[in-house]
Amino acid sequence: MSKLLKRIENELQKTISKAISCSEWRSSIVLEGEVNSWDELMSAGLRAANRGYKGVVNKMTVKGLFIPEPKNPAVNDYSLEHKKVDVLIIGGGVIGCSIARELSKWNISVLLVEKEEDLAMHASSRNDGMVHPGIEPKPGSKKAYFNVKGNEMYTKVAEELDVPLRRSGSVVIYDSYWLKFIYPFFKKRAAQNGIKGLRHLSKAEVKEREPYITDSVAGGLLFPSTAVLSPYRLTIAYAENAMINGAEISLNTIVKSMKLDGNRIISVETNKGTVYPKAVINAAGVFTDKIAAMANDQFFTIHPRKGQVLLLDKKKGSILTSVIGKPSFVNVKGVTKGGGIVKTIEDNILIGPDAYEQPYREDYTTNRENIEGLMKKHFPVLPTLTPADIITYFAGIRASTFEEDFIIERSEYVKNLIHSAGIQSPGLASAPAIAEEIERLTCETLQEVMEVKRKVNWNPRRKGIPELHRMTAEERSRFIKERPDYGVIVCRCEEISKGEIIDAINSPIQCNTVDGIKRRVRAGLGRCQGGFCLPHVVKLIQTQSGGSITEVTKKGNSSYMLTGETKTGNISGGCQCEK
Amino acid sequence: MKSSSTYDVIVLGAGPAGLAAGYAASKAGASTLIIEREERAGGILKQCIHDGFGIIRFQQKLTGPEYAERYIRLVEEQAVTVLTSTFVIKVNKKEDGFELQLVNEKSGVFSLKAKALVLANGCRERTSKQVFIHGARPAGVYSAGTAQYFVNIMGYLPCKRCVILGSGDIGLIMARRLTLEGTEVVGVYEAKSTPSGLARNISQCLEDYNIPLHLSHTVTRIIGTDRVEAVEISKVDEAMRPIAGTQQLVECDGLILSVGLIPENEIAEDLGIKLDASTKGPLVDQNFMTSMEGVFSCGNALHVNDLVDYVSESGELAGEFAAAYGRRHSERRLVDIGYSNKDFLYVVPQYIDAASDNKNVVLYFRSRDVRYDAKVAIKCGNDKLHEKKHSVMRPPEMEKLELDLNKLDINGANKLEILMLEG
Repeated sequence: MSKLLKRIENELQKTISKAISCSEWRSSIVLEGEVNSWDELMSAGLRAANRGYKGVVNKMTVKGLFIPEPKNPAVNDYSLEHKKVDVLIIGGGVIGCSIARELSKWNISVLLVEKEEDLAMHASSRNDGMVHPGIEPKPGSKKAYFNVKGNEMYTKVAEELDVPLRRSGSVVIYDSYWLKFIYPFFKKRAAQNGIKGLRHLSKAEVKEREPYITDSVAGGLLFPSTAVLSPYRLTIAYAENAMINGAEISLNTIVKSMKLDGNRIISVETNKGTVYPKAVINAAGVFTDKIAAMANDQFFTIHPRKGQVLLLDKKKGSILTSVIGKPSFVNVKGVTKGGGIVKTIEDNILIGPDAYEQPYREDYTTNRENIEGLMKKHFPVLPTLTPADIITYFAGIRASTFEEDFIIERSEYVKNLIHSAGIQSPGLASAPAIAEEIERLTCETLQEVMEVKRKVNWNPRRKGIPELHRMTAEERSRFIKERPDYGVIVCRCEEISKGEIIDAINSPIQCNTVDGIKRRVRAGLGRCQGGFCLPHVVKLIQTQSGGSITEVTKKGNSSYMLTGETKTGNISGGCQCEK
Repeated sequence: MKSSSTYDVIVLGAGPAGLAAGYAASKAGASTLIIEREERAGGILKQCIHDGFGIIRFQQKLTGPEYAERYIRLVEEQAVTVLTSTFVIKVNKKEDGFELQLVNEKSGVFSLKAKALVLANGCRERTSKQVFIHGARPAGVYSAGTAQYFVNIMGYLPCKRCVILGSGDIGLIMARRLTLEGTEVVGVYEAKSTPSGLARNISQCLEDYNIPLHLSHTVTRIIGTDRVEAVEISKVDEAMRPIAGTQQLVECDGLILSVGLIPENEIAEDLGIKLDASTKGPLVDQNFMTSMEGVFSCGNALHVNDLVDYVSESGELAGEFAAAYGRRHSERRLVDIGYSNKDFLYVVPQYIDAASDNKNVVLYFRSRDVRYDAKVAIKCGNDKLHEKKHSVMRPPEMEKLELDLNKLDINGANKLEILMLEG
């Protein structure tokens, strides 16, 4: 046992639990033993991290704690059996989909598998939609590098993929005069990370920008490069662009195991058959460590850090123009702490997310304490906000490692495996830059076994579903004349037409779920939360995709919206959407 | 329809309030148009296939669609156009009235002008998040109105075994309706210590079907991955906060919510019209005119009514006054109607226009809590205008009184007061 290992083990045994034992595996440290609580497990992992080992591999368990297996798709078939592909991407979040898109410019076959019914079902649809400026990550970290680079790339990416993006800027406000001395610190860090445009704002300047902000504000720091966008629409746009350029996407597809021959992955077993890839990209979010383990390459561990978010009526959107943060004061480890107040791309006000450690990777439940905590913390910043403005709230889970930095690299041991792991905040902001780096690493990997050439006819552009309510009257009328369905408003709160919903159902990645429609065109995401449009959306899904209305689901598997016919049955068919 | 068309009165919404307003405006001689976003007129009545509508207005027990049909016929007789499947994008105030920007499948985006507007937008249901229900978010959680649409309009069941949260009238109606269609209704749970719905619905929808009503209980958590698998029920204290340790799980595959209605006033808010924090509807005078000259409000957009008869009553009055708006020349002089929040949930109208010729004022109010043998009086300075003893008043049951202001010299008054006195 090395001295370093002994020292860490002693420390963990002394300060946390005698049950913990440490060992070395390759260049990582492995922690084992049964501890008493998740807190103990977390403390041990964090203490062992960044101590000279590449990563912390957690094999500790918590007494009496049961952690469920990843949620499985309900379907099993052989649609992918014997499939040979050049690249297999595991994970259909913003990282997997952006990688698929960048790889689609090469003359190689790309298959992306996603275990859920739709793309962007985990962290990519459960965040604040903020493209961070890159001030929080520690200088020199991967987070800092990819964040700042990704932020810069977004203007072009959003334009090419037809995804609305607003460079609204963010203001970090402080409420005490002496805190203005944080400015030199931020200025230095901004310079180190390569962030442009940082400016100090006096109280008057903050109030001029954000007149509704609390009078107790003392000043602020403006980061003009901060942007907002819809993270799930971006993810879907990336995936659609990849598909247009020949990539394949298989939903409801979970990776179960891998076969290796020496230091190469030969085959990947899924619930839809065995796939034979030349290279494998691990972009499985909270399950990246599990995927790495399948290739006998787990040198890190994901600890799921949960956050909850409030979403407010867009009526109140007019009281805010940018993103407001409080100095989340620059935790050395770069951990996101409290979230902020974001004016979303759709003009809602979003509050959060908060952050806390818990053991479950797919537990998206919310609870009273956290939601009330968010109100208590952030409502005073914009004193006109009230609980009645809340239209919904939700939870997301960050794929954090104990090292708290991104892992973007080729495996040191498995020749055809590339990791894009530990991607938590600022993962969305970093996605375009991460995708480019993974593209480079993948081409390098493939070139060892095949020739990799650029496609001559790659199309970087993708057209989104038209957003009628954003158009001028003339343009909107023109669209409606062409297709009258664009003139039938189904979702009154968000002003979404029947035509847009049909477009979403028939989009390149077919969407047959109620939640999928919400993510694509926002029908049901407004203040009535689908109270009025839900039956129409269900009916439209059925008429467009065939089958029985009782087969329509909220989010795939057996999340059926309806349980059967009434005694008299479907005699009236009086739904507005049927004609 | 030409884009330059100007009407004396445009009514937004063809539910029971809007139809009544359109009918009355036209009858009073105004050129009138009704705009409806849905495909057919009738509003929420279309899906209310139970009876009990129209006892006051038509002295008959009608079903919702029958009641709506009565008004649709009246509107047809007046030859008022109901422009269906048409959505109002924006209303702009102009010097000589209002310009509406609309969209539909036939005309695309187009505009219309009106001298007076009647807002009859109805209301929407409060959602699970607005009553702070937590836990998972599986399929099977519906507001009562949505469930009613699935069952009555589409002919499908939203669940096989459900819990109903909230004892609002739609929740009670749906408890009976689902039971009749074969869904097992485990119980109705209400966070308040008294029912929210009408006494007749408690008796006819729950008691007659042996559906238990649990007061001072609420749903604190939803459990389930794909569909609802169970809900956690907790007892609540007087402030309606869950009491720790009282949780119990109730297995079910559906949760139906009847937790309140919110008047839809987004157009009014956009115009800058002042709303009443208690009713969530516009502040109006006895002519149903809002804080903006020429804009009238009625029905459930004004305040949530418990009987459709009152909805159309307010619609008819608002329509009539909207028609008269163009002929009026005097300035308004608004006299506040004061009340104590301890005694009243709300009072509508909130003002009296002392300069108006309309001296026969209809006042609607709800008591804050259940009161027995209390007197309701109206005072103007030292003058008592009205006094009536009510053997019982309950918040779910709206009270109505008529005032004759002719007897009163209101011109000097700054304030009217409505009081609740011990019997």
